[in-house]
Amino acid sequence: MSAVLEAGLVSVLNGFAIGFLLFILAIGLSLVFGMMDVLNLAHGALFLGGAYLGTAFVGARPSWGAFLAALAVAAVAGLAAGGALSLMTEPLRKRSHLDQALLTLGVALVVAELLTIVFGDDPLTIAAPPGLNGSIGILGITYPAYRLALIGVGAVLALVVYLVVDRTRVGALIRATVADREMVATLGVDNRLVKAAVFAVGSLLATTAGVLGGPVYGARPGLDAAVLILALVVVVIGGLGSARGALVGALIIGQVDTLGRALLPDLASFILFGALALVLVLRPQGLFGGAHGTVPAR
Amino acid sequence: MRTLSALTAAPTRSGGSAPTARRPRRWGALTGALVVVVLATAPLFLAPFATTTLTRILVFALFAVSLDLLVGVTGLPSLGHAGYFGAGAYAAGWVSLNVTAEMPVPLLAGAAVGALAAALTGWITVRSRGVFFLMLTLAIGETLQQVAETWQSVTGGANGLTGIPSTRIAGQPLTNAGFVHWYVLVFFLAGFGLVWMVARSRFGAALRGIRDNEPRMRALGYPTALYKYATFVLAGGVAGIAGALLVAQQRLVTPADLGFTTAAFALLAVIIGGAGSLWGACVGAALVIVIRDALGPSLGGHGTLVLGIVFVVVVYGLPRGVAGLRRLRRNGTDR
Amino acid sequence: MAEHQLITRRRLLGLFGAAATLPVLSACGSSVGGGGGGGGAGGGTVKIGLVVPQSGVYAALGTDMQRGWELWLEQHNQKLGDYSVQTVIADEGETPQTGVPAVQKVLQSDGVDVVVGIVNSATALGVANLLAESKKLLIVANAGAADITGKARTPHIWRTSFTNAQISAAMGTHLARSGFSDAVYAIAPDYAAGTEVITGFTKAFETGGGKVIGQAKTPFGKTSDFQPFLSGIQASGAKATFCFYSGSEAITFVRQYTQFGLASSIPLYGSGFLTEGNVLPQQGDAALGVQTTLHYSDQLDTPVNKDFVQAYQAKHGEAPSCFAVQTYDAGNVLNRALRTASGLDGDAVAAALEGVGTIDDSPRGPWSFDGQSPRQSIYLRKVEKVDGTLVNAVVEDLGQQSQPV
Repeated sequence: MSAVLEAGLVSVLNGFAIGFLLFILAIGLSLVFGMMDVLNLAHGALFLGGAYLGTAFVGARPSWGAFLAALAVAAVAGLAAGGALSLMTEPLRKRSHLDQALLTLGVALVVAELLTIVFGDDPLTIAAPPGLNGSIGILGITYPAYRLALIGVGAVLALVVYLVVDRTRVGALIRATVADREMVATLGVDNRLVKAAVFAVGSLLATTAGVLGGPVYGARPGLDAAVLILALVVVVIGGLGSARGALVGALIIGQVDTLGRALLPDLASFILFGALALVLVLRPQGLFGGAHGTVPAR
Repeated sequence: MRTLSALTAAPTRSGGSAPTARRPRRWGALTGALVVVVLATAPLFLAPFATTTLTRILVFALFAVSLDLLVGVTGLPSLGHAGYFGAGAYAAGWVSLNVTAEMPVPLLAGAAVGALAAALTGWITVRSRGVFFLMLTLAIGETLQQVAETWQSVTGGANGLTGIPSTRIAGQPLTNAGFVHWYVLVFFLAGFGLVWMVARSRFGAALRGIRDNEPRMRALGYPTALYKYATFVLAGGVAGIAGALLVAQQRLVTPADLGFTTAAFALLAVIIGGAGSLWGACVGAALVIVIRDALGPSLGGHGTLVLGIVFVVVVYGLPRGVAGLRRLRRNGTDR
Repeated sequence: MAEHQLITRRRLLGLFGAAATLPVLSACGSSVGGGGGGGGAGGGTVKIGLVVPQSGVYAALGTDMQRGWELWLEQHNQKLGDYSVQTVIADEGETPQTGVPAVQKVLQSDGVDVVVGIVNSATALGVANLLAESKKLLIVANAGAADITGKARTPHIWRTSFTNAQISAAMGTHLARSGFSDAVYAIAPDYAAGTEVITGFTKAFETGGGKVIGQAKTPFGKTSDFQPFLSGIQASGAKATFCFYSGSEAITFVRQYTQFGLASSIPLYGSGFLTEGNVLPQQGDAALGVQTTLHYSDQLDTPVNKDFVQAYQAKHGEAPSCFAVQTYDAGNVLNRALRTASGLDGDAVAAALEGVGTIDDSPRGPWSFDGQSPRQSIYLRKVEKVDGTLVNAVVEDLGQQSQPV
C-alpha cells in the first residue's frame, strides 16, 4: 500500500514539474491569441529551436556556463523570432484565424525542417547542469534533482509572469488589449507595438522553455508538434488570453499526464484528450475564458 | 472569432451570390464540363502512377469538399474531420474483408458509419465555435485514432487493415488503375454535386447566415443548433464516402488515415483553395496530394519544407485562396 | 427483370472495359521501359528502388539503411550478380500514407525491378497487392511484423531483418533461466509491434517457467515522461524489467529508469533496439549494464564483421547499426540470387532466393532463409564502456532462431 502511495506522491510532484514547464510554454500562445486573435502554430517550433540551441551549447558535457549561455542565446533568439512573426502576421491582421494558422503552420514546417537539416535527424539529449545531474532522495523516494529545480524555477517564472500580467500597468494594458483592442487604440496606444512586445516575450518564454525542458524532453524531429498540441490543450482548457487560466490549465494537464496515467494506466492513451473534451463539454469557453468561445462574430 | 467569418466567407457572401453574374456562371459550367471530360479521359493517356495520383486527388478532394461544407459554408473549422473519413474507410474495409466487396455495400457502409460517428460526436461539438470547435474536434479526432490503434480485433491495430479485396461491380473486381479511377470519379462527382446542391439551397443560405451572425439567425427563428448538427452529420457521411473510395483505391486503411496530419492537410487544402468555394477545396487538395505523394518521395525527405513554403506563399500571394483568383479576374480588381 | 438489368450492366461494363484496357495497358508499358528485359543471360542493368524514411521520426534509420546499401554496392563494383545496378531512392516517410505512394512511384513511374527497404510494418503489409500486381520482388530490410512473412505472406515479399517476437523470445528463454523467473515486469509502447514483442517474450518466458507479474502499455509516440509507469514497476515488486523501445523513447526511458532510481535495484533488459545505433551515446552512462538481445552487434568478433565495421567507420565516422547490416545483407542475398535467377521479375528472383542457402559472409554471422525471413543467431549483449565509448558488448550467442510460429 505504501508503495502505491509513494508512486502517487512522485506522480504529483512530477505533475508540478511538467505543469510549470507547460505554463512557461503556453502563456505566450495564450496571450498572443487572446490579444490579437493570432493562432500561432509556430509556437512548438520555437520550443524545439530552444531545445536544439540547448543541445548545441550543452550537449553531453554539462557546465553551468554552457547552460546559462544556452538560456541567454535562446532568449535573444526567441525575442527576434517573436518580432519576426509579429511582422509577418501584421499584413494578415484583417484576415481570418485560418489564414494566420496557415501562415504560422507553414513557418513551423519550414523552421522544423531547417532545424533537422542543421542538427540532423537523431534524437538528442541535454544533460542537466552539474549538481542537478543526479537524483536525490526525498521522503524515501528517488527523484531527479533537475526536476525539483524545474519546479522551483517554473514556479518563480510563473509567479512573475502572472504578477506582471495581473498586477502591473503593463499587464493592465495587455489585459485591456485582450478585452477590447479598439478601445485601447483610441486611448492613443499603438496596439501593434503591444502586440509585437507580447509576441516577442511570449516567443522568448517558448524558446527558454525549450532549453529548460531539454533535460526532460531532449530535442528531436516531431517534438515541435507534440509540444504544440500540449500547449494548445492547456490554453484551451484554461481559457484564451487569461494568465490565470493558462496557469491552472498547465497544472491540470501536468497532473493529468502524470498522476492520471499512473492511476489509469490502461487508459493512458486516451486520457489527455478525454480531459480536454470533458472540460469543453462542461465549460465550452474554457475554465477562465471570457466570452471568446460563445459570442458570435462581430 | 470576430474576424473569422468576415474573411473565410469571401467568395460566397451571405445569401449566395447567385444573381450577380450570368456570364461567369456559363463560363463556370463550361470549365466544369471541360474538367470532367479531362478527368474522365485521363486514364486513356496517363501512365498508371499518374492515374493513381489523380485518383488519390479525387478521394482527398471529396474529403476536403465535405470539410469545406463545415468550414467555409457553416463557419465550423474542424481538425477532427479525418475521424469520420477514417471511420468510413475502416467500415468499407472491414465490410469488404468480412462480408462482401460487392458494390454498393462498402460504399454504403462507409457513408453510414461516417455519418453515424459524426452523429454520435456532433452534439458535443456544435455548441462551440471557432478555436474551441477546432480543439474539441481535434480531441475527438485523436480519440477516434486511438480507438483505431487499440481495437486490434476489428481495426488491425497500428498495422491497419491490409489485404482488402478490390471493390466488385456485378461480380467483376476493379483491379485496373483506370477502372478504379472511373469508379472513384463517378462517386466524387455525385458527392461533390450533393454538397454543391446543399450549399446552393435555402438550407445552405441559412448555414451561411449562421456563419455570419448566429444570434440574428436564431432571433429570426432558425433552429441554428439543429442546422449545424444536421450539417455536421451530412459532412461526416460525405467524408465516409470519401473514406470508402480511399479503400477502393489503396486497399489499405491504417490509423494514419484518421490522424491529425490527415485532418490538418484537409483543412489546409480548404484554406488554400479559399474556404467556402467548393471547387477551390479540390484545387487545394490536388496541391497537397501532388506535393506529398507524387513529388514527396523524390524530394530527399524535404517534402515538408516545400509544403511549408507553399503555405507561406499562398497566404501572401493568394489572399482569398485559389478561388480568389477567379473573383479577381471577374471583378477586374480585388476590392 | 432484375436479371436482365444485371446482364446489360455487365455487358456495358465489359464494353467500357474493352475500350479502356488497351490504352491503359499500353500506357503502363510505356512507363516501364527502363528496367525489365535483362534476363538471366547476364549483363544488363538491374534497377533497384531503395524506399527508406528520409523524413519523419524514422529518418535516422533511413540514413543507416541507405549507407549499408551503398557500402555493399561500393565494395562489389556496383554490381548484383552480373547486372550493373542503378538505385532510385524514395522517401518512405513515417506512415503508409507516404510509404505506399513511394513504393508505387518506384514501381510504376521509375520502373524498378526490385524494391528494397521499408521501415514501417504497416507499409510493408500495405504494399503486398502492389507488388503482386506488378509481379516485382520486395526485400524488407527492417519492418518486423510477423504477418509480413507469416499470416499475410505473399510470394514476392522477403525479409533480411528480423521479426519482433524472434528477438524478444530469445530474451524470454534467457531470463527464465537466469534467476528472475518469479517476477518480471514487461513494458512496451501501445501499438502493434509493442504487442508482438511482449507476446513473444511472455510466451517464451512462461514456457521456461517464468512469471510476468505486471505489464504496461505506454502511449506510442506521445510519452516523453515515463515516471507514472516507472512508479508502477517499482510498486509491483518486480525483480527485473523487460522493455521494448526505440528512437527517442529508448533514450528517455533508459535515462529516466536511472534517474528515478530503478536501475540500481531492478535490472533492465530489453529488445536490442533499446541501445542500438545512435541512441546509445545519447543515453550516456544511464545505459551501462542494460542487457538486450538482437541479431547483430558491431562488437561481434568475426573477421567479416571487423572488416565491415572498419569500412563503415572509415566512411561515416561512426559504428554501423543493425539497420545498416540489414540493407547490406539485402545486397548480399540479391547478389547471390541474381547470379542464378532466370529473370528480374518477382517469380524468378523469388525462386532464386529460395536457393541461396546459408549466407556465410554476413557481418551478423551465418544465417539462412527459413521461409521468407531469416533464421539467425540472436546475441545477448550488455552495454559496457570500452575506451570511453559505450558499446553493446557480446555476452553470449543464444543460438540460431527462426521466426516464432
